Amino acid sequence: METQIEQLVTVTINGKEIKAPPSLSTIQALWYAGYPRVQSVGCLEGVCGSCRIMVRRAESTEVTMALGCQTLLEEGMEVNFLVFPTPTHHTYNLAEIPNSWEVQTEFHRVFPEAVNCRVCNGCNKSCPKEIQVKEGVALASKGRFQEAGELFVECVMCNFCMTACPEYIAPNHVGLFSRRVTAYFHTRPSNLINRLEVMRKGELKVEIDQD
Amino acid sequence: MSNAISYDEALKNYQPMAQREPAVEELSTEELLKQYHPDHYDDAAVTLQVGPNRGDSCHKQLADMLQADARIDEADLAGAKTRKTDILVIGGGGAGCAAALVAAKAGARVTLATKLRLGDSNTVMAEGGIQASIEKDDTPQVHYEDTIKAGHFQGNKNLVANMVSDAPEVIRWLIQQGMQFDLDKFGDIMLRRAGGTSADRVAYYRDYTGLEMMRVLRESVMNSNIEVLDYSPAVELLANQSGRCAGAVISNLKDCTYELIRANAVIIATGGIGRMHLNDFPTSNHFGATGDGLVLAYRLGAKMLDLDSFQYHPTGLAHPHHLAGSLITEGIRSAGTYLLNSEGKRFVDELQTRDHVSSAILKECAEGRGIHVGDDSVGVWLDTPGLELRNPGLIEQRFPKLLQLGKKCNINLATTPLLIYPTLHYQNGGVQIDENGQSTVRGLYCVGEVSGGIHGRNRIMGNALLDIICFGRRAGAHAAENSRRPGHKKISIEHLSSLRRNLTMSKMPMEQKGPMLFPECAKFENDSDYDGLRKHRGKKIHTT
Repeated sequence: METQIEQLVTVTINGKEIKAPPSLSTIQALWYAGYPRVQSVGCLEGVCGSCRIMVRRAESTEVTMALGCQTLLEEGMEVNFLVFPTPTHHTYNLAEIPNSWEVQTEFHRVFPEAVNCRVCNGCNKSCPKEIQVKEGVALASKGRFQEAGELFVECVMCNFCMTACPEYIAPNHVGLFSRRVTAYFHTRPSNLINRLEVMRKGELKVEIDQD
Repeated sequence: MSNAISYDEALKNYQPMAQREPAVEELSTEELLKQYHPDHYDDAAVTLQVGPNRGDSCHKQLADMLQADARIDEADLAGAKTRKTDILVIGGGGAGCAAALVAAKAGARVTLATKLRLGDSNTVMAEGGIQASIEKDDTPQVHYEDTIKAGHFQGNKNLVANMVSDAPEVIRWLIQQGMQFDLDKFGDIMLRRAGGTSADRVAYYRDYTGLEMMRVLRESVMNSNIEVLDYSPAVELLANQSGRCAGAVISNLKDCTYELIRANAVIIATGGIGRMHLNDFPTSNHFGATGDGLVLAYRLGAKMLDLDSFQYHPTGLAHPHHLAGSLITEGIRSAGTYLLNSEGKRFVDELQTRDHVSSAILKECAEGRGIHVGDDSVGVWLDTPGLELRNPGLIEQRFPKLLQLGKKCNINLATTPLLIYPTLHYQNGGVQIDENGQSTVRGLYCVGEVSGGIHGRNRIMGNALLDIICFGRRAGAHAAENSRRPGHKKISIEHLSSLRRNLTMSKMPMEQKGPMLFPECAKFENDSDYDGLRKHRGKKIHTT
């Protein structure tokens, strides 16, 4: 499809100077200019967290973190794609938490670094979804998992906050742990449970109509 | 004759109104589809010349891939590393993760290979929700009937009956993995209605159902003993002497080498074909949705179904251009949003099935009642301001992802409608399977969008997320139970010899290589980083 005639802007992506229309995202700009781009590309809608970039805008010394598919070109912008970090060292298994009284104990065993948060704000600043990350970590450390989890509704697990954290807290995994224990221990919908119970008794079998 | 008008003019004419007259539709669903659905375009389908579905109708772009030459031959495998596992899962979306988790829990050794990263999939983008009949007035029987009817009575009844009966247990399993759903004040699961169905049956988490599901399943896999190989697309399946599937060849994008994975069973969960951009439609699909699993399974002899049937989701974004094809959840129509043509009139029952609504939009545009942006974009209005007048605050509360999309378009959804046009969304057909996800090739399972027969010729909202978890779990359990067998004596890619012979005998072109792996725009085929995985004029160029 043709685009309407647009003024091109000049940007630098991964060290390559590119002229492209400002309505394109950084990923589309690479493709537009003929550069292949396979890794760090995912949903192209801002929910998979693959296309991690660092951005410096013209006339600014500040470097910000963003998702490449969500960032449109601006004149003089410098962009670098980042590789995805190795997975976190934190591991846990929900089925091994004996009951909901033990969640906080288990949390501090799995994420011992969480209490060391020095409130440097690196996580909040690096989050492309503007999540209040450090506040979430603080809530989780106090055992307020439901509230902590609510702060991470928009989290796409891009792991920027994990990269930014000097204490290796893996804040996004703290957020996801908080969300998962909330569902695992507290989501008990009576409409679902009742339906399962009726079906357990062998009722509500589907009859296949033969033509 | 034509009332087609420009975007700016239409926007000027547009007046938010709470109520509008319902549509009077002149064509029956059948007539509408026949005249306007892209599956029925004159030159859309061709007849397959080789393979298990020889003689069947298939979309021409997909046919090119199914009948393409392989990317590798025996010489590429000389000296390749070999890895052994009980079960190889190909694909890292919802279906692949569910299969892997259940198989691993049953004690099998599981390796999961994915083209990009774990979780990079269409699952993560799903918005609407997941169907399960749990309301008191609803039953699995009604769910079954809705599914069969929406699929125009072409779905496999046994598969559908199994799926709807599993649905409540699937929701419970997801909660046990740590997935949240939107709950009412009593803690009950809230449900919304899918187009073309007769009960509120779609469970959801905001319009982030897929994101919530995928981040939980990914975390679950990463905290298990499942071996995950990322950036490792499969390029061919392996078979033993008797034709049983015995593993796969993967290409490692990190070091540009091939690796053989020997397995007692293979579960393909590679998803759909949106990025083939059939009939030049935009797509709502993930970057990796290039139909690789269909090609692999077809070459090894797996029978396919309904290869000429695809779903075009009615509400893809049509403007601005750089976001064209982005999905707008059906949940917004389910909440009562109208569709309006250039005259500001409703033209379809918005809660009809997706194929019906999409065809109605294409009809409006074809008959000159569309709204044009420049020369190449056209669409109709999604009347969010009307919804806002009827239900103030609902959009903000329930549709955070849509709100984000509005921001990106610089459009205030409460006062300005969005221009929408159908977007290629889903592959209705695929590999023929039984209730355990087994294809017609022994040792080969196919689950999720790559499989066919469940949704007939049209899928309803919320049945895809149900399908992937339901059949993912079934295949994982069945494969684990049957994977304790002696290893294969000999594994090979000998099936490619007969493929090449058949292609030559049918005078088919051999230039095209499959599977596609990446969309054309990514320029994988001329990316110098991946020279090691390609041949140039018959001579392999080695990097490093």
